[in-house]
Amino acid sequence: MTGEGKGRRGSPATVSTEPGPAPRVPSASPLPRTKESRPFLLDFLPLQSESETRLSRFFARLKEGRLSTTRCPKEKLLDWPPRVACPRCHTEELEWVDLPEEGRIYAFSATLAGAPLGMEADVPFAVGLVDLEGVRLRLFGRIVGRPWNELRIGAPVRVEPYAADDGRVFYRFRTTD
Amino acid sequence: MSGRRVALVGGATTRFGVRSATWPELAQEAGAALFRAVPELRAEDVDSLFVGAAEPERFAFQSHVAPLAAEQMGLRPTRVIQRTELACASGQSAIRSAYAAIAAGLSDVAVAVGVEKMNLPSMAEANAAMACVMDRPWDGPSGATAPPFFAMVAQRHMLEHGTTEEQLAAVSEKNHRFANSNPTAQFHEKVFSRDRLLRLPVIAPPLRLGDCSSMTDGAAAVVLVAEDRVRQYSGPPIWVRGTGQYSDFHNLANAGSLTDWVGLRHAAREALGRAGIAIGDVDFAEVHDCFTISEIVEYEALGLCGAGEGGKFVADGRSDLGGEIVVNPRGGLLGCGHPLGATGIAQAVEVWSQFASQVPAARQVPDPDFALVHNLSGSANVHSVMIYGREAGD
Repeated sequence: MTGEGKGRRGSPATVSTEPGPAPRVPSASPLPRTKESRPFLLDFLPLQSESETRLSRFFARLKEGRLSTTRCPKEKLLDWPPRVACPRCHTEELEWVDLPEEGRIYAFSATLAGAPLGMEADVPFAVGLVDLEGVRLRLFGRIVGRPWNELRIGAPVRVEPYAADDGRVFYRFRTTD
Repeated sequence: MSGRRVALVGGATTRFGVRSATWPELAQEAGAALFRAVPELRAEDVDSLFVGAAEPERFAFQSHVAPLAAEQMGLRPTRVIQRTELACASGQSAIRSAYAAIAAGLSDVAVAVGVEKMNLPSMAEANAAMACVMDRPWDGPSGATAPPFFAMVAQRHMLEHGTTEEQLAAVSEKNHRFANSNPTAQFHEKVFSRDRLLRLPVIAPPLRLGDCSSMTDGAAAVVLVAEDRVRQYSGPPIWVRGTGQYSDFHNLANAGSLTDWVGLRHAAREALGRAGIAIGDVDFAEVHDCFTISEIVEYEALGLCGAGEGGKFVADGRSDLGGEIVVNPRGGLLGCGHPLGATGIAQAVEVWSQFASQVPAARQVPDPDFALVHNLSGSANVHSVMIYGREAGD
């Protein structure tokens, strides 16, 4: 085994680095990902490491607690999701900017039935579109903190990073009222 | 329209529903039904095959489905064989591609077939497949699926325009009632009164079960031919008179207004303009009622009523038989079910059957001259519109 792959920040902290043949039978313990046999494209979280995406900085920033995205340096326009090329002028020299943490609910609903694989245990869960304070971005995300039937349009929320079991990170919104 | 004129000379739909049948078996059924419905059709005359299939990779663990469908249907295309994928509009995409190939002179006789197998042993797995239609890495982790997205459309429409749950139920009642006269419909035998619809469980507030189209297995196929081949077929031809599409976003952050579907305005203007007609000339429309709120927003974007008036439009019966325009006489996605790749084809089969006076009186539109077919796909981020006419036009 060659140990953990470059930039596999989501890998468990304890990783075997001993040389030798790959185990014939998958171990129940966490495996290094270089010889990964479990499927990754059956869940929804993006692949996040430097070896997998040019947007790994987004996830690294999110681990530090900040939601960010890219901005075209010429037009000073934000895009969501973050990009590697500007959709308007097509420059590939984009800059990263941190986004406001505060926002207000523009619309919301909830999944009370029909959750996708891996999210069945979360039911019922609320989702919504949130206008971030002071920028022209309206992001979709989970809303936690209050049950769906206590949410209201216009209510304040705050961006909250969270980590999945395997260390990959994403963002959600938490009510603050 | 430019190029050769193109006619649809017949088609057929399999039974829609929770079917004890696989993807290839549904393709076989569609082929068998098509050859029965169009007796003059000879397999050796079919030079091209377009296969509308949204997600066979996820629902049937199968790629390269165009040759699979050809084999199942007994076809050996010599000019064009391809799959068309545009999520919920995959079927209409197959028809549009067949139209383009014939108009350009590449094909003379083309079959457009749509097949979708959606019901799996694991409902959660099927729901995950559906969720892949959205922006999977950026909206998917939060649980973006169609019901909560269209629920937000409904919530905003209620807030901005005062639309009510009763008006949503009016769409569902109408379309389920039409489906009662359509034996291929998933809910052919189920009667839904507005009161019953308003008592069904909430799926994604404010949408209830009866506001949502279902997970459906099914297939449908049509034959399109060049104008000089029309006389070989005994059924009346209906003519492709216009098409239009518009795509303006994918990630939900870029949706803009949830309640004014600008993309549909663009697509309809393009299609009607190519046909040289106005929306008032259309006698009936098969529109994409994946959710009840969708049909209400579509009335408005199509210009059938003013902004915010869609709920009243349906509640007043103006989209019903006897109204200004009959919307979804087939039974819609709500009544027929929504096998993604098959829906657009099944809508075209209904259009042909209406023009040919081959539907029961309970849903027959009197003497139509023009029909409009609309599909949205994904989060209403793409709109696809076709206009069919009784006359060939210029």
